[in-house]
Amino acid sequence: MPRGQKSKLRAREKRRKAHAEMQAQALRDAGVFATEEEEFFSSAPAVPEDSPQNVPAAEPPNTSQEPQNTPSSTDDTTTAISCTDSNEGASKEDEETSTSSKALENFRRDPLNKKVVLLMQFLLQKYQSKELVTKADMLKFVIKKYKNHFNEILRRASGHMELAFGIDLKEVDPTRHYYILVSKLDLTCDETMSEEDLPKTGLLMIVLGVIFMSGNCAPEEAIWEVLNLIGIYADKNHIIYGDPRKVITKDLVQLNYLEYHQVPNSDPPRYEFQWGPRAHAETSKMKVLEFIAKIYDTVPSAFSIWYEEALQDEEERARARAAARARIAANARSRAKATCSSHTK
Amino acid sequence: MQGSARRAGAMTDVHRRFLQLLMTHGALEEWDVQRLQKHCHEVHGSNAPEEKLEDFITTINSVLESLYIEIKKGVTEDDGRPIYALVNLATTPISKMASDFAENELDLFRKALELIVDSETGFASSTNILNLVDQLKGKRMRKKEAEQVLQKFVQNKWLIEKEGEFTLHSRTILEMGQHIRETYPDAVKICDICHGLLIQGQSCDTCGIRMHLPCVAKYFQSNPEPRCPHCNDYWPHRVPEVFDPQKEPETGVSKSNRKSLRSRQH
Repeated sequence: MPRGQKSKLRAREKRRKAHAEMQAQALRDAGVFATEEEEFFSSAPAVPEDSPQNVPAAEPPNTSQEPQNTPSSTDDTTTAISCTDSNEGASKEDEETSTSSKALENFRRDPLNKKVVLLMQFLLQKYQSKELVTKADMLKFVIKKYKNHFNEILRRASGHMELAFGIDLKEVDPTRHYYILVSKLDLTCDETMSEEDLPKTGLLMIVLGVIFMSGNCAPEEAIWEVLNLIGIYADKNHIIYGDPRKVITKDLVQLNYLEYHQVPNSDPPRYEFQWGPRAHAETSKMKVLEFIAKIYDTVPSAFSIWYEEALQDEEERARARAAARARIAANARSRAKATCSSHTK
Repeated sequence: MQGSARRAGAMTDVHRRFLQLLMTHGALEEWDVQRLQKHCHEVHGSNAPEEKLEDFITTINSVLESLYIEIKKGVTEDDGRPIYALVNLATTPISKMASDFAENELDLFRKALELIVDSETGFASSTNILNLVDQLKGKRMRKKEAEQVLQKFVQNKWLIEKEGEFTLHSRTILEMGQHIRETYPDAVKICDICHGLLIQGQSCDTCGIRMHLPCVAKYFQSNPEPRCPHCNDYWPHRVPEVFDPQKEPETGVSKSNRKSLRSRQH
């Protein structure tokens, strides 16, 4: 049944009020922005003085309409490339980019999106430092006044992370709201390893192996037994690993690769290790088994019992990936439908 | 003049992988970037022909644009090698370092930055930087620690070290150039040719204008009698060679740039 006149008017009035409220809030916040975020958005250079300057190769397509919003700063290139690469940007405007730049403008005007951008950059930093992300930190450092919109902002930010970077935000602790950021793309060790990380990885893989082969939970003594065999001792400084005890009980735990806790009711206290959430996310039982097999100059299937378990783990992961893909496809379809219908309004 | 409009293609996993890896390295030189693009292409076994690097980057930037992030291309100040960095445009530049460094370390960087910008040569000596250790905000830092922090800055490609002196890495100039110009408007030097921020360069003894070494190279290319563009006096310095990407940089590349390669060769 179509809505009566009165209820339509009431709804319209309500919407108008809410919208006006948001606008007022946005204006207030915009004033705050300038001080809080210090040159937020103004550092997207508004200085057009270098117009004869050649534009760097990676110039975004739509630059004509809002020169002040164009991120591609000509004066920040450290020096001129060549004078023949003339400033093509301004003259290159296609009609098709004018609609996308309009959408861009609208995107930028929405005050929530400013927070989305800030949160994204916060998350990118966390990704690079492989730190745990907590809701508390996000609220404190980024979201601030917009805490009522936290879920929406987080949703949009993680959507961008996925789309642009192929990085997933995974909630590992729903009660305390802890998240980790994991690449959806299987980045190999070769690709990502920086010089400082490399030693820790080797050590980590061994420890993960011992844990796996101890039934997925290993007493600390077992770990040291194995490490001692290769010359790594708890109380001796190691030329590569430094302080091995600190590395496995603190550093790798902090990075969420390992879990280290006291065996309940143990007196004197004994400790045990398990895989941490990041280890589960970034590697697999099969990969760890492959690593161990290499050390023994053999193949994973030589370790039949653990090979079985690793195979099962691989199957489960494949199923989970397929389910995720189906979910993403379904979401994309429904989102496409939604945008289609919003266009036809 | 290139004719065709630069249209952004679709973002695929090839682009995403590239982006993640570029982000990991902070900044990469062009030939490293080309190899990275090739590698990402191969990993995904993509049958599509490999895009030109420019277009590849344009595609990525079109997606990043609304997020105030960009892959920016610049040129190294010492010998004009093209360099790419993922640059964050929406927050104060030092915040990018903020997650990796403590308050006193960031302040050390700021002090070093100031000394470098103020200096005549674009270099600040280790001694001069370390002498400022007592003025740092935050926890007290000893000179020994400060030396290590400076090395961390070099490893993370914020500073370059040459014979005990420090200058800014091209990445820093790309990422923080605008911020530096705004923060130190009086001390900052500008290249007379490209009008970009100048840290290292050559200057005219007579009228004092400055030029980047690569800008000098281009401007005076095959000119037997180089003269200052401003006052017309003879240019008093040796004119460097224009960077030639064909002369493969496997040889004679500065140490700081080899690091990104080493870790891949195991």
